[in-house]
Formats: sequence, structure tokens, C-alpha cells
Amino acid sequence: MNALAVIGPALHRLAGELPSTAPQGSNILAAQVAIGGLFSLHILIAGLVSGAAELGPAIEFLGYVRQRRSYDRLAHGLGRFITYYFSVSSTIAILLVTVLLVGLWGHFWTTIVTIAWWPLFIEAWTFVLQVSLGYLWYYTWDPLRGFKGVHMAIGGLLAIASFLQVYMIDVVASYMLTPTAPQNPIRQVLNPTSYPLTVHRTVGNLAYIGFVIGAFCAIGFLRTRKPEDKVFYDWAGSFGLLWGISMTLLQPVVGYSYAKEIQLHAYGSWYKMMYGTLSPWFLWQITLLGIMFLTATLYFARRLRTNDAPGAGLLNAMAVGMVLTIVLAAQPYHLSLTYDAVVGAGLNRPFWEGGLINPLGSMIPWKVLALMFYTLIAIAAVVWYLRGLPGVVWGAARRGEQRLLILMAALTIMMMVTMGFIRENSRAPFLITGEMTIQGQQNTQPTPTP
Amino acid sequence: MSRIAAIYDWLDERTAVRSLARKGLYEAVPVRGAWFYTLGSATLVLILLQLVTGIFLTLLYVPSVTEAWASLNYLKQHDAFGSIVRGIHLWSAYILLFVIGLHMVRTFFSGSYKRPRELNWVTGVGLFVLVLGMAITGAFLPWDQAAYWTAVVVTNIPAYTPFIGSFMRALWRGGDFVGPITLSRSFGIHVWLIPAILFPLILAHLALLRKHGEFGSYINYRGAYRSREGVDVPPAPAQRPIEPPYPAVPTDELWAAPLETEDFFPFQTFKDGLVSVLLVIVVFLLAVAIGAPLEAIADPSTTTYTPVPEWFFLPLDELLLLVPQQLIPLALVLPAGGVVLLLALPFIDRGPERNPFERPAVMVPGAFAVLFVVILTLLGSGRLFNL
Amino acid sequence: MAHRDPRRLSRRQFAFLGTQAVGAVVTLLLGIPIVGFILSPLFHRQLVVWRQVGDISAVPDRQPTKFEVAFPLDEWTSANVNLAVYVVKISSQTLVFSNVCTHMQCPVRWQSDLEQFLCPCHGGLYDITGKNIGGPPPKPLPQYVHRIDGTTLFIQNSFTESI
Repeated sequence: MNALAVIGPALHRLAGELPSTAPQGSNILAAQVAIGGLFSLHILIAGLVSGAAELGPAIEFLGYVRQRRSYDRLAHGLGRFITYYFSVSSTIAILLVTVLLVGLWGHFWTTIVTIAWWPLFIEAWTFVLQVSLGYLWYYTWDPLRGFKGVHMAIGGLLAIASFLQVYMIDVVASYMLTPTAPQNPIRQVLNPTSYPLTVHRTVGNLAYIGFVIGAFCAIGFLRTRKPEDKVFYDWAGSFGLLWGISMTLLQPVVGYSYAKEIQLHAYGSWYKMMYGTLSPWFLWQITLLGIMFLTATLYFARRLRTNDAPGAGLLNAMAVGMVLTIVLAAQPYHLSLTYDAVVGAGLNRPFWEGGLINPLGSMIPWKVLALMFYTLIAIAAVVWYLRGLPGVVWGAARRGEQRLLILMAALTIMMMVTMGFIRENSRAPFLITGEMTIQGQQNTQPTPTP
Repeated sequence: MSRIAAIYDWLDERTAVRSLARKGLYEAVPVRGAWFYTLGSATLVLILLQLVTGIFLTLLYVPSVTEAWASLNYLKQHDAFGSIVRGIHLWSAYILLFVIGLHMVRTFFSGSYKRPRELNWVTGVGLFVLVLGMAITGAFLPWDQAAYWTAVVVTNIPAYTPFIGSFMRALWRGGDFVGPITLSRSFGIHVWLIPAILFPLILAHLALLRKHGEFGSYINYRGAYRSREGVDVPPAPAQRPIEPPYPAVPTDELWAAPLETEDFFPFQTFKDGLVSVLLVIVVFLLAVAIGAPLEAIADPSTTTYTPVPEWFFLPLDELLLLVPQQLIPLALVLPAGGVVLLLALPFIDRGPERNPFERPAVMVPGAFAVLFVVILTLLGSGRLFNL
Repeated sequence: MAHRDPRRLSRRQFAFLGTQAVGAVVTLLLGIPIVGFILSPLFHRQLVVWRQVGDISAVPDRQPTKFEVAFPLDEWTSANVNLAVYVVKISSQTLVFSNVCTHMQCPVRWQSDLEQFLCPCHGGLYDITGKNIGGPPPKPLPQYVHRIDGTTLFIQNSFTESI
């Protein structure tokens, strides 16, 4: 704790002594746009890198157990991806921290560093681990071919470092939404939304890289002329989609639990998302999730049909069921921008009675049922596709399937940006719920003593 | 002839002990992956530990609403060794449930439930349900706050069954409310009724295992076998005659018998013994260090106590929290449906393939189920930590 | 073998049928009392009595106040069970609630900062009139059958609607 005793007061003095060049008044919007834009970009790339660092070693291990070269080739490709893009996402992150956070949001940043010192400290070191293990994992691929065990161990350590990195930053992010006991590090790490957010993001990163593998291989399939590459891209695209959709299938349970914890510990944010100004975006998100499941089911059906493998018919039927479920899920509850607008206009009754409420759009029970239903249909679709896989001839896909894979990645990116937007805006006007406001971080308030 | 050999001959003529020993000790077991196959015997050891500590606890515990807490409180205050016995009983129960979970995952993964071992799996699921019943009824017995409210909530679960729900609840509680009959019934079920079914079922489970032999996993069979020399090896000549359970029933050539086997005694017994002893040491350490807690005596009129479920109920508790009121029976159908699916597993997955990586249509839903339970447990424990 | 009338029972058949008959008799002899014993709580009427809660004149308006009332456990034990009772006065109306949650029967408590009854197990919420307004509870807070003599409240250990 000595480091804290030294650095904490130093930062405190710094924050107080620096001339306030931070934006005031209407420039706060510009600061928010800057932070929001850069953070979204960072997450879109860093999420892929994290996912690749976790999925790659797993695929390498599976390939070793199943003695399949294609798995090894895919894992190798993910390793290459990490080496290309790690520096891009890290540069954005460093820009964020050193320029934007310290410069524009200095009071907030020094506060959070003081409170979450150890998580951020560990986070910083996981960057060192990730970069050294990531490059090591990729560049020792061929030299360690005879020592697969060692190579896979390096990959395993990389996956652990990557998970730890996400976990630590999620401690900070969840603390901002549901702060508890800043002086107690265990309570801080285990704050109410820490587990849901970490599970949600870890699973989400794995899904995201899966879908991007799908899109990447779809483009590769469409462009290449070599038949063995076509076989690989076709298989890898399907494989990536399977991973992506399997991980996404876990999200409804985690997301619902996450929303529950927010309801219990940050009620204002929850209300804003479910009934307030962010509720149309939340409705869009639940619809987007359904469309993602639908796209995957359509891919499964098409891919099986292309090779006349059994199961396409049932999958098409599942797709129809899914469309109906999405129609139910997409119904708005209040036929106005916010629920308060309905109450304010005194039209708190069903629309067939002249009001602005659509009872079929209520979360309980209709949307919950819709969520459960399309999750179950999607699980059944995955299983049915797996059953039909032995009848598939890799390399003999049509263009339609590849377009669906590309669409899937686009939908995922839309989903992630929507979620980030909802998340950060739900906490407004707070930066740290109940403790620090966006406006308030501009005034000189005393930072908590270390 | 030595004296001992003569005694042994005398016994053998009258009891056939020699052939019994040979059958018992020198059965063939697969070589690769043997450490994973120790989980079954670890489960048995922990159950026997429960039996022994449980029997000795009945020498003091009184199953009455007025005496139960008092007797255990007396144990806690005045009997250090008795408290350790009670601590072993509790921690062994917790670890037993975890080890059963691992054992089920291993046999699921290795496809050991396939023909001709389907009934082995079915009896195993029965054992799992019975052990869960033991854990639940045992949790009621101390009649402290935790036990009382666990009794109230758990006996309330059957009430959501359509039509017969309130009758099922009344049967278990001995009335509409938890009271003396609930405790007496639960004690009788815990000490007599379930053990009377459990132990014969364990014997059946073991007898079936003996009949067909330990399957092992796909790494023990031709095609996936990688011996230390890198080639398929024929079985090494045995020093003593190995009792051959394989193949009990000729199914298909590939999975009929493992390629390389060794004697159960001493190779597998050593591994089994080591794992079991390690687990028992862990149980013992936990019993001494933490022990079995005893909260305040049951108070039905409390408005300050927050009931907290046992760890193995966390997934169901989290599900009950998340599921809206109109869909509560759905939440309760899930665990029941899960048990039915488990029982039906050998009849759903009938193909001969044992390699888990070659049967994704079974592995993927199984992995989902395990992941759902793990995630719900994590989320539940996080929520309870922040109550 | 000598010629015999095929309609007559052979010795084997007689012993077979006899074993089955004996088995049936034993099953019935054992089964009927045991099954009856197991099912007996379904036919047993809960002992319902009146007990005095106390003087409720001091209970403030719109402030649920907890009382504890001892009822007999009518089985063989002489011990009593303490039940919590919440008395709520809303203008001229007096409501007498039990604190048994209608979700999983956890002990509900009044939270004055929320101005609602809260169930700690799964976050169920009831308003001051006992209506279930949040979380999973499917029914309102149960009310005791009660009567008021002057300012003294008496309750029965039974609810106005079963849960």
C-alpha cells in the first residue's frame, strides 16, 4: 500500500494545481462525444483482440486433441490477428487514458484511480503479459511444432492474462454503476454488477470474435480461387458462426440477471433503460438480438440445403418460429418515447381504449417469454445443425451463406455500439452513481483521501 | 506349509474366500486416464463417511422442535470432538455433492452410459437424486434459523405443481405449516427411508459396473489410442489372472474392450485411495477450521433474518429471482425436466460413438446445461454477497 | 405321466398362484396402514384457535406495526410457535397481515425507507395495502382472520385466503 500512499496524494495535488483547461458548460457535450466515440472504437477492436486471445488457444487445443490441421490453421490466423491489431487497440487505449481521461475528465480519472488502484495496477501488468505472450505464442508457432504442449501452455497463459485484463477493467466499469465501500477492496471487486458484467463481456468477446471469423472467412471464400482455401474458409466460417451463436445463447440469462442487479442497486439507471429515454434503444437491442439468432438459423438451414444434408426443413420451420417470436419481442410497451410521457398525458390504458399502452409489449410476461423462446429455438437450431454436419461437403457453399455471415458480423457491431451507448447514458447524470456527476467532475471537489 | 497358509486354506474351503478375493481385487481396468475414474470411488468413500458420522451424530441429536437446537448447541459448546464429527458431516456433504457433479460430468463426457451400460447411468441418476434428498432433509435437522427457513422455502416448492401442489406440500410438512411433524418426517426420511433405498441402489450400481467393466474413455480404444510407444499395444501378459469383465456383451468391435488393462489391485486402488484420502483430509481440515455453524434457534416471527440458500440451491434460487410470477411453474419445471433428460440420456444418445469431440449434438447441449448452472451459481453468489 | 384333466391346476401352477396370492395379502396388510399413515396429514384438520394480539389503539396511521403472537403447535408438543403480525391502520380501515411471502414463504418485513413490505429472498415488494407490486410474488400479502373487540385485536392462525 506504500505506492498508494505516495501516488495518491501526488495525483490529488496535481488535480488541484493544474489550471483547469477541462471543458466547461456546453463543451461537455463535445467531451462526451470524444470519449464515447473513442471508447466505442477501442471496445470494437479490443474486444476482438481479447476474444482472439481466449478463443485461439482453445481452438489450438481442440485441434491437437482432434488431430485436425484446419483447427491449427485457424488458431494461427487468430494469432496473426492479435499481432496486427493489438497495437491498434492499445494505442487508442493509451490515447484515451493519457489525453482524454486525464485531460478532459481529470477529476473523475484521478478519483477512480485512487479508489480502484489495485485493479488498475493488475490491469496494467496484464497488458505486459498479453503483449509478450501474444507475440510469443504467434512467433513460436513453427519452432515449437514438436513441443505442442509447451506452445499450448503459452496460449493458455495468454488466455488467462486476457481474461484477467477484462475482469479488472470490468471491476472499474461496474464500480462506476454500482459503487460499494471504496475502502474495502474485496467488496469493491465483488460489487453487485461486477460478476454479471464480467461474465457478459467475456462471453460477448468470444461471440464477437466468432462472428468476425465468420465474416472474414466469408470474404476469403468469395475472393479466393484455390480449392483447398475454399474448403478451409467454408469450414472456418461455419465454425466461427457456431462459436459466436453458442456464446450469444448464454447472454439472455446473463443480461437479464445484470438488469436485475441494476434494478436493485442503481434504480435510476434501470428505470431510464426500461421506461425512460433509453427504452426505445433497449427495444431495438432486444429486436437486434432476435435478428441475430434468425440470421444464424437461416445460415444453418441454407448451408445444409446447399449440400442436401438432412435437417434443412426443420431449420426453416425454426426460422419461421423465430420470426414470430421476434415480432412479439419487438412490440413497444408504451406508444410514446417514455413511460412518463404516457402517465403525463393521462393515457395510461391500452391503445384499443384510446390510450398509449400496448399490453402485449410488457416485459412481464411477454418479452420474457419471447426471450426464453427464441433462446430455446436457437439452441435447438444449433443442435440440429450439428446433427446435419456430417452430410456437409466443405468448399461447396453458395454465395448466399457467405452474405449471411457478413451480415452477422455487421449486426454484432451494431449490437455492441448500441449496448455501449445505452450503458453509458443510463448512468447519466452520474459518472459514479450517487457520488460523482458529469457536471460535478468539472468542479473542484475534494478527492477521497487514499 | 506355513501356519497362515493353512488357516487361509481352512477358510477357503468353508467360505470360498480365495475366489472372492481374486474376483474382487484382480478385475481388469483400463490404463489411460485412470485418475479420472477415481471419482466414483471418491463418491462412495464420502457417502460412507456420511453414514458413519451420521450414525454417531444420532447418539446425541434429538429430532424434536424443542430439543433439536438445544442438543446441537450442547454439542457445540461442550463437545469439541462431537463438533468435529458434525463438521465432517457437513463439509463431507458439500464436497460429496461437488464430487458427484464431477463424476457425472466425466461419465457424460466419456460416453460411459452407452450400451450395455445404460442402467448403470440410470441407477447413477437415481443415486444423485437420493443424495440430493439427503442433503435437503439433513439441512432441516438443526432447526436453527437457517434450517427452519430452508425447510419453509424448500417444502413450499412442490406447492407450485398444478392441481396436487398444496397436497404435496402438506404431505411433506405434515400439515399446512412447517412444524414438529415436518422435523420428524424429515428425520425419518434422512436417517431411515432414503438410506434404505440408497445403499441397495449403490450395490446395484457397483454390481452393474462389475458386470460390464469400467468403460474408461475413448482414449483407451483402438483408433484414438496413443500408447507410450506410439502404437496400439496388445495387453501385457498378466502376473495374476485378471478377472475379465470385457466384453460382457459383444456390442461393436471398436468399443468392446479397452486395449490395455491392468489389475484393479493395486494400481487403481492406489489412485482411488489417494484421491479419496486427499478429499477426506480436506474435509477434516474444513471441519476443524470452520466446522458446522449453528445459528440462532428457529424463530418463525423474525423480521430481521434473511434466509440464504445452501450453495447447491443457488442456481434454482437465482432462477426464482429472475423468473416473473406468471412463469414460476416454468422455473420449477426446469430442474425436474433436467432430471428427466438425465434419465433419458442413454436412450436419446444411442449411437456407438464415444469420442466426445465426435458427438457435438450431445456435447453442446450438455455444455450449455453445465454452463447455465455454473453461471446462475456465480450470479447468485454475487447477489447474496451484496445483499 | 398319467392322463389328467387339463382344466385342473398342476402342482406348479397351484404353488405359483399361491405365492402371488400370499404376496398380494402381505402387500395389502403392510401397504394400507403405511400408505394411510403417510397420507394422514392430508386428512388432519389444522387446529384453529383465537389468540389475543393486544391493544392496537397506539398503532399510528399508515405505519405498520409488528406484533408477535404465540399459537399452539397442535401436535404432541406443548411448545408454541411465535407468529409475526403486522397491523396497519389506513384511515378507518385496519388490516392485519401475516409476514409470510406469497412467493416462497420467506419472512417479509416493513421497510420504512421504501414505504413498502420487502421480502429479502428474491426482492418481492408489497405496498402498504399488502398488494404485490414488485418482484416475483404472485399474490398479495396474506391476511389473518381477525376480530377487534373495542381496541383489542384477536387473530386466528388461519388466513382469509390460503396461499
